[in-house]
Amino acid sequence: MNPKRLLAITRAGIMESLHFRLGIFVTLFANLIYLVLVYYLWKAIYASSGTTVVNGMTFEDTMIYLILATALFNFLEMFVVWDMSRSIQSGKIVLDLLKPMRFRKYTFWSYTGNHIVQFVLTFIPTFVVVMIVTKGAIPMGLNLVWFLAATVIALMINYNIEMLIAPICFFTESTWGVNIVKETIVLLLSGATIPLAFFPEKARMVVSYLPFRAVYDIPLSILLGKNGSDTWQGLVSLFALQLAWLLVLTLAGNLFWNSAVKKVTVNGG
Amino acid sequence: MEYSYKNRAFTNYYHADNYNILVIAQKRKRENEMSEYSGNEAVIMKNVCKDFKVLNRHEGLKGSIKDLFSRDYKTVSAVKDVTLTVNRGEIIGYLGPNGAGKSTTIKMMTGVLEPTSGEILVNGKVPYKNRTENCENIGVVFGQRSQLWWSLPLIESFKLLRDLYMVPEKDYQDMIALYQSLVDIEPILHKPVREMSLGQRTLSDILAAFLHNPPIVFLDEPTIGLDVSMKAKIRELILGLNKEKNTTVILTTHDMGDVDALCKRIVIIDKGTKIYDNDIDHLKTYFGSYRTLKIKRADDTWEETLIDDKTTDVMDVIMEKRKTMKIKDVKIDEISTEEVIKKIYEGSAK
Repeated sequence: MNPKRLLAITRAGIMESLHFRLGIFVTLFANLIYLVLVYYLWKAIYASSGTTVVNGMTFEDTMIYLILATALFNFLEMFVVWDMSRSIQSGKIVLDLLKPMRFRKYTFWSYTGNHIVQFVLTFIPTFVVVMIVTKGAIPMGLNLVWFLAATVIALMINYNIEMLIAPICFFTESTWGVNIVKETIVLLLSGATIPLAFFPEKARMVVSYLPFRAVYDIPLSILLGKNGSDTWQGLVSLFALQLAWLLVLTLAGNLFWNSAVKKVTVNGG
Repeated sequence: MEYSYKNRAFTNYYHADNYNILVIAQKRKRENEMSEYSGNEAVIMKNVCKDFKVLNRHEGLKGSIKDLFSRDYKTVSAVKDVTLTVNRGEIIGYLGPNGAGKSTTIKMMTGVLEPTSGEILVNGKVPYKNRTENCENIGVVFGQRSQLWWSLPLIESFKLLRDLYMVPEKDYQDMIALYQSLVDIEPILHKPVREMSLGQRTLSDILAAFLHNPPIVFLDEPTIGLDVSMKAKIRELILGLNKEKNTTVILTTHDMGDVDALCKRIVIIDKGTKIYDNDIDHLKTYFGSYRTLKIKRADDTWEETLIDDKTTDVMDVIMEKRKTMKIKDVKIDEISTEEVIKKIYEGSAK
């Protein structure tokens, strides 16, 4: 663990992301379109339900949740699977394996710069706009600190989920289909597209123990003071769930990666 | 007439044959010497083999569907029983036709591939064990791929590599100063890599590979696709770095010019087997006198004849040809690497 090394990789990542500044504006614009769509969709859902509170959430609650989930999604989104399948097909993976750092660590830190840029340029502006428009719907206090901590863990969990899928391309040579399936599952079960409160009771029980929830639902719950995160007990149990999954996924990811890399070194990838 | 050239060329194979006995004798000598790592060897390879398991693909749509569930593998030997010692400070030309196993060997030496059998020591260590740590002591350039950060100026890639390899600031500054004395890096230092020409990028990649001053650098076809002046520049650079830092360089190339300019010793492999390992002077003694005579016929097509300059006078051949055909143009080329390799291979196959 050498902080100077990690800092250098992060710095380069920030510079590379800033280089594609147009991409950031396009992301913001695409979000706008998506959110307009989401707004009218949920407006229709609430209108047809006949009540103002559905599954314990008002229309405003739902919108705040979904807008922040979208902003969080932009910031947490990773392209490990795409990048790895491309670098395997082109053979570039050899150069990555020849870096004087463990591959998993190196890859994680090379994405960090991009996360920081996305956080500052897409999440914070969205957050500020939501804060101003809703005038105090988001509690401002220690929950912000917990939210940041939960987000960092969410980032690591998300990376580990990616790293569990990415090495599949060592065996299949193409991961397009696998990646689409993974993305759909993560977005649905993590509560990024539909708040988990809207899931049927039994499904919610199952989903609330799965790792996907730890990526979007837990940080957002903490930020908005939902799901018992306003009590110490609730907060601790949410963090415990996150950390437990982080541990399990890191170990599983390590094992899978080591066996996948063995395949490359033994059979040339 | 045709026949007699061939015949003369044939007699020359005898040289090649004798010469192979010499090579084999030298090979034996080297193998015997190579008992343990003494500290002076950059690379030791002992009876290294590498097999790949490849799926037997079937033809057609039906075959493709069948392949989905097929367990029918065949083993392909990419490298067969290669024994090789490279001493510190040497520049070795590692040659062979496409698919001969050059890149596989390089990948084994860098540690990204594990040999199926045999031993490899690079800097006294087994490269595929503790790959990450060993990477600190090697530099690698793969001709068609760049390890540089695409959208960043070169200097940023250098700084990043400096921190990644934990190069002390003073050593880094010295290295940059050395680079400046060897090539004019000022114009490319602040240029984003993606805006560079292929030549500038290759140059940058070579500089990046040497930046942490590794004892050994692997260059896999570094001059591929470059123009003449850039080739010359890169050769000069490699030679200069080798001289200044006593870096061992293992170079694969198809360009005889690279070999002439850089290597004192060459190793040739074909079909995974080492077929030549000796000083370049020997190679020249036996094959340097060959010329390819190209004659342009009346219908604008070229006719090629391989001639041994020592036994046959090129002018005689041209005069002889003139009697039977109209000659529009004449070219005389030196023998190419491929032809040398071919000749050596044909010699060793007998």
